[in-house]
Amino acid sequence: MEMKRNTTKLLWLLMFSDIVLFSYEKSLREQAIELMQDARLIDGHNDLVLRLRIFYQNRLSAVNLRELNKTHTNLAKLQAGFVGAQFWSVYVLCSAQNKDAVRLTLEQIDVVKRMCNSYKELEFVTTSQGISDSRRIACLIGIEGGHSIDSSLATLRMYYDLGVRYMSLTHSCNTPWSESSSKGMHNFYPNVNGLTAFGQEVVKEMNRLGMLVDLSHTSDMTAKAALSISKAPVIFSHSSAFSICNHSRNVPNDILQKLKKNKGIIMVTFNADVLACGRKVVNVSTLADHFDHIKKIAGSESIGIGGDYDGVERFPEGLEDVSKYPSLIEELLRRGWNETELKGVLRENFLRVFREVENVRNLSKLMDVGESETLQEVQNSCRLDLRNHQPQKVRSFGFSSVTQPLSLTFVTVSHLILYYES
Amino acid sequence: MPGRSVVVLALALRLLLPSAGQQHREEAERIMTTTPVIDGHNDLPWQLLKRFNNQLGLPEANLLLLNDTHTNIPKLRSGHVGGQFWSVYVPCDTQNKDAVKRTLEQIDVVHRMCELYPDTFACVGDSDGIRQAFQSNKVASLIGVEGGHSIDSSLGVLRTFYRLGVRYMTLTHSCNTPWADNWLVDTGDEPALHHGLSSFGKTVLEEMNRLGMIVDLAHVSVETMKAALNISKAPVIFSHSSAYSLCQHRRNVPDEVLRMVASTGSLVMVNFYNEYVTCRDTATLTDVADHMDHVKKVAGVQSVGFGGDYDGVSRLPTGLEDVSTYPALVAELLARNWTEEELKAALAENLIRVFKKVEEVSTARRSLGHTEHGDMGTHRTRGHIEHGDTYSMGTHRARGHIEHGDT
Repeated sequence: MEMKRNTTKLLWLLMFSDIVLFSYEKSLREQAIELMQDARLIDGHNDLVLRLRIFYQNRLSAVNLRELNKTHTNLAKLQAGFVGAQFWSVYVLCSAQNKDAVRLTLEQIDVVKRMCNSYKELEFVTTSQGISDSRRIACLIGIEGGHSIDSSLATLRMYYDLGVRYMSLTHSCNTPWSESSSKGMHNFYPNVNGLTAFGQEVVKEMNRLGMLVDLSHTSDMTAKAALSISKAPVIFSHSSAFSICNHSRNVPNDILQKLKKNKGIIMVTFNADVLACGRKVVNVSTLADHFDHIKKIAGSESIGIGGDYDGVERFPEGLEDVSKYPSLIEELLRRGWNETELKGVLRENFLRVFREVENVRNLSKLMDVGESETLQEVQNSCRLDLRNHQPQKVRSFGFSSVTQPLSLTFVTVSHLILYYES
Repeated sequence: MPGRSVVVLALALRLLLPSAGQQHREEAERIMTTTPVIDGHNDLPWQLLKRFNNQLGLPEANLLLLNDTHTNIPKLRSGHVGGQFWSVYVPCDTQNKDAVKRTLEQIDVVHRMCELYPDTFACVGDSDGIRQAFQSNKVASLIGVEGGHSIDSSLGVLRTFYRLGVRYMTLTHSCNTPWADNWLVDTGDEPALHHGLSSFGKTVLEEMNRLGMIVDLAHVSVETMKAALNISKAPVIFSHSSAYSLCQHRRNVPDEVLRMVASTGSLVMVNFYNEYVTCRDTATLTDVADHMDHVKKVAGVQSVGFGGDYDGVSRLPTGLEDVSTYPALVAELLARNWTEEELKAALAENLIRVFKKVEEVSTARRSLGHTEHGDMGTHRTRGHIEHGDTYSMGTHRARGHIEHGDT
């Protein structure tokens, strides 16, 4: 009798503790959401602003960004995806190089500013502190492609003044001073390898200003050159792992190791084409493989997130738009990533990099401002050549322009008369 | 002999007693010590580009020692220059080419000038900033874009220039833009394209009013002057133009327009270039004073200002060879019985009045819910606009960011 009562008690105890334990055990999904509520995502790259140009000619009053459904991105989705800060790309097409790239870039920057001032959910910031302090979705600006500066360090400085905080040294075209990872898409400057001397000046000036150097879209040579000369940590705003998928947009292991030494960050991107190398099934797991690999080579402290939403067409199943980020975090939890590592990926790693870049700026001296002359080799018919410039003569008109020819005529006629008279 | 001693006595008296001219000169210096001149237009940045390719770090580009330009720091000081609109002019040849980039480079050189010589220059973006610079005995430095070709027909670029500190834009230089006619249309050298402002030109002007960027009508055709004076909700300026009545050069302002200047509370900042002052290649200081007298007569003293065009022109009047000579001109005006009040108005108060009004109009337009114009769009329903973003200058001098309105 005693034993049976003890067993019953034991069973009740077990059942009780089972219920208690069950009610405390959260699903991974819930854990992911709780984590992201606490540590909202800083995403490295989004091309919504390009879409606004293409669909709405930058007329913000024609669109409601909260509910927009033609794009991967709208404000409601960003909130659902626990996005705390977004770098908006002000990309302009490579075909504008040597034409009106500067004007177009300024127009894209203008749209970001107007956008971020028009919605109470958004707040334009330019510092790491600004991101940390923001209770809204912090807006920052990234230029995508060195062609936007038109080989002018002064233009780079003006972009910084306007709030731009990173520049990808190339997009899919070479500039006169840096080499892209894309081959054959454009015909610009085919003989440029890595970074030229001027390209090094650009990186130095970016360090001095406090602008993050972004190596997404650059060739391996460019990335290595930048990593060796930059005094500050660098970023890849939207690239993934070459080892998992050998796409030229991805980063090979040796560069990942250099990045680790540099204390920089690779913000892993979601573009299905660079994740899966043509494999049919592309899902959250495919993406998580890239995370696992990079963690192995460079440590989780080198990792961030740069979705590239609205910049490309194909995304993994389950990650179709900017509300789906929690699915990635859920998968990484499943794979044993801990909270510290995930908070690092979500925001802390990026903030560390940004703070160090700001530190390098604060230590830089005013006299080191980049004053290299614009390269002679970029001279073309769409540029004023000051060396051969004839200043427009300020003509004096009115009275004298009439009198000069008249008086000449008078003198000639009178001479003729006198001649014939004699 | 009595005759000779009278002569000696007269000479002695002459030497001992200050002459009227000297008295006026001293008076001018006294007035300008508390009310220095705000000049409407100086092309030093263009000289820095041509001579040094904007490399301010070169030893020969030292603004304290530079001696073959009209402008350098010691001369600005002895000329009692308290405020200067630095022109970020780029030639008309850049239109449809690299005008935007070149303008950015000129804006950059002004910012760097302020950074490199912080004891002399204070880059400011509003009328309060000018007053503060006066207090701290620095040259309040502002930026003027010279020619609508610099915006490449883009309102986004116009707004960007405002954010970078540009506070006036001359609607044209000496070339038509796709939206405004220039003075060469009046001489017959160029065909009229718009007879003033096109519809987009009016949009540009409205956007300038909304932003708080002063409209400058130097270099434009008479029809453009009239169109702008009629449409603008804020007073306008002529940053460097003189009186057509005295010298019939089409860069100058005809009397009928001077009357519109008076009725709109606008400002004509008189240009010193010989060709515009006497319509010949020589002139003297008194000729410039004649122009100031004329504008005062036709449009009132509240419409007069100084717009020397130093370092933008080749031939300047005897007595006004460089930026140290403003006090001599003020002395001449004193001799012509201008009162101290009137001189202070012409030197600085008129410009500050205009600038304040331009700022007020901007604030009013923004709070009424006027949206910015989209790049290709027209005026639309109420919505939120940003108010002057942070005007930062490369290092750490950003002003506070102010926001108005809601969604």
